[in-house]
Amino acid sequence: MTGGAGVEEFDGLFRAAGVTGFLYAVDVDTGAEVAYGADEPVVLASVFKIALLVEFFRQADRGALDPAERVTVMAGRHTPGPTGVSAMTDDVTMSLRDLAYLMIAVSDNTAADTLIGRVGLGAVNTMLDGFGLARTRVEHDCATLFTSVVEDSGQEDMPTDPAVVSRLRVLDPARTNRSTPRETARLLAMIWRDEAASPESCAWMRRLLGLQVWPHRLASGFPYDDVAVSGKTGTLPTLRNEAGVVEYPDGGCYAVAVFTRSYGTAQNQPRADAVIGTAARAAVERLRSRPG
Amino acid sequence: MDLVKHLRYFTVVAEELHFGNAAVRLGMAQPPLSQGIRRLEEELGVRLFDRSSRRVRLTEAGRAVLAEAGEILARVDRLRALAGREEGAVLRAGIPPDLGSTVIAALIAGFEAACREAVATGPGEPGRGKAVGEGTGSTEAGRGRAGREGTGRGVRLVPTEMWSADQAAALTAGTLDVGVLRHPIAAPGLSFGPVLVQYPGVVLAESDPLARLSSVHLADLAGRRLVLYPGEPGLHEETLGECRRHGFVPQEVHQAQTLGLVMAGTAVAFGPRVTLPGLCWRPLVGSPLAWRISVAWRGEAGPAAEAFGAVAVRVLKENAGMTDDGAAPVRRVRSRPASGFLA
Repeated sequence: MTGGAGVEEFDGLFRAAGVTGFLYAVDVDTGAEVAYGADEPVVLASVFKIALLVEFFRQADRGALDPAERVTVMAGRHTPGPTGVSAMTDDVTMSLRDLAYLMIAVSDNTAADTLIGRVGLGAVNTMLDGFGLARTRVEHDCATLFTSVVEDSGQEDMPTDPAVVSRLRVLDPARTNRSTPRETARLLAMIWRDEAASPESCAWMRRLLGLQVWPHRLASGFPYDDVAVSGKTGTLPTLRNEAGVVEYPDGGCYAVAVFTRSYGTAQNQPRADAVIGTAARAAVERLRSRPG
Repeated sequence: MDLVKHLRYFTVVAEELHFGNAAVRLGMAQPPLSQGIRRLEEELGVRLFDRSSRRVRLTEAGRAVLAEAGEILARVDRLRALAGREEGAVLRAGIPPDLGSTVIAALIAGFEAACREAVATGPGEPGRGKAVGEGTGSTEAGRGRAGREGTGRGVRLVPTEMWSADQAAALTAGTLDVGVLRHPIAAPGLSFGPVLVQYPGVVLAESDPLARLSSVHLADLAGRRLVLYPGEPGLHEETLGECRRHGFVPQEVHQAQTLGLVMAGTAVAFGPRVTLPGLCWRPLVGSPLAWRISVAWRGEAGPAAEAFGAVAVRVLKENAGMTDDGAAPVRRVRSRPASGFLA
């Protein structure tokens, strides 16, 4: 399906959850795809950490950095965020690859900014260009994004006032880290096909993405012990994203990227989180029921 | 003679049964009005008013003419409206369907009055009305047609009943100029007017045991099913969240536009006071629910949208019991890691 048949199903799912949604799912092995607004520009939010992860491991492959090197993040230099080192009080010393683990597993913003300090955003975009992912751009680190929210809203807490939310620059794809559902899923598929970096590095990345802790979005659509769900979420006021890979026991492997924007500004919207899983499931079912 | 103009004089005098009051309403002096009525009587060859006693009365012929005159004037108005449809600017406005007929009617009437005022006062006069004319360039304000004949010459309001999510989408898509929508709701590029708040009560079936109480606590509703409006995702989540906080977890949530399920005794609903047979309305103890509403438009408001916003605020306060948002309790957001910054 690329438009046409079945669009109504996604219309209905996203609508019932009070969001607008954009989705792309691809069979990692056959390239069969399901697209729903797949080429729309979307705000990555924390999903950008996948691209950073890829470039981090590519530099490790080249010997440009040592993933086991221990670094200390001083207490005064933690980027704001609700998890990981960002939520910790004191100086933290750990290896670069363990910071990469925290960045993916709990979306640790301080870990991400520390890796950006080593890897460089320019290098991330050069890597994306090399892969032909020209519509994916990573221009800001987490600290810059946070400053932008504070400047636009005048507050440090994430705003829920609709008037404030509607003027946040971080919610405008043109002015923040951006991609399309198709390009984001393609990058994941490359990790799963050992094309994004060396096979060893791709295996590391798959392991880290499989260690992500959040159960409420993509994973909620596949509640089975024998189905693996790896992924990375992205969250900002009214934005809920997740891009990941779903692996079935019969070997079926599907990269899925779902980006949503809710009409409501409440932070807790279980239905908006769950529709990411429900829509991904519907897309995967389409890919699996396809003949041949 | 201008028969339509004279018939208009006649209907106003017939409504007031007082030449002085009628002249004030028409914005003219009394002598030309009396003269005009006399001319109409000559034209028709009958006496329309009995002026012999202290009070002005309609004659038998006057009563017959009045009915017909009303018909003719309505058709003339309609004719002007139809003719003006092509040239006059249009303001497409979305209104939540649950606001009710009286509020929607008051919005339309209020906006038309504002337009009329703009046309009547013309350029150079300050005030809300002026902005309406400016919205369409020189055509409206410059015309300066006074009084009732200005009707339909200003910006024409095209109201559509739509729920907030649809309004937000339509405003973004540019198929709606201005909306009245319920919060919390956001979409890229939307701006909002002042926020008003309303404290809904609960609508119950008359047979519900809770109908015996003078006011109901949210927790009292435990175990009941709940009807919520469709197309209000923000309000939906916020209302359910507040219900849960107060110990009311609805057994089932129905999305419906009407109170049929409530009337049947299978569910309860929240909303402003209703008086319908079979239903009873009770306030909620402590006003735990606060529904916020505001006018919204895309980007900068045009003068017509701004005028509509001013009318909407006044009408919602006067006709729908809403108050300024300042009175609403501040909702404390308890953030969680999974929904925090860049989670």
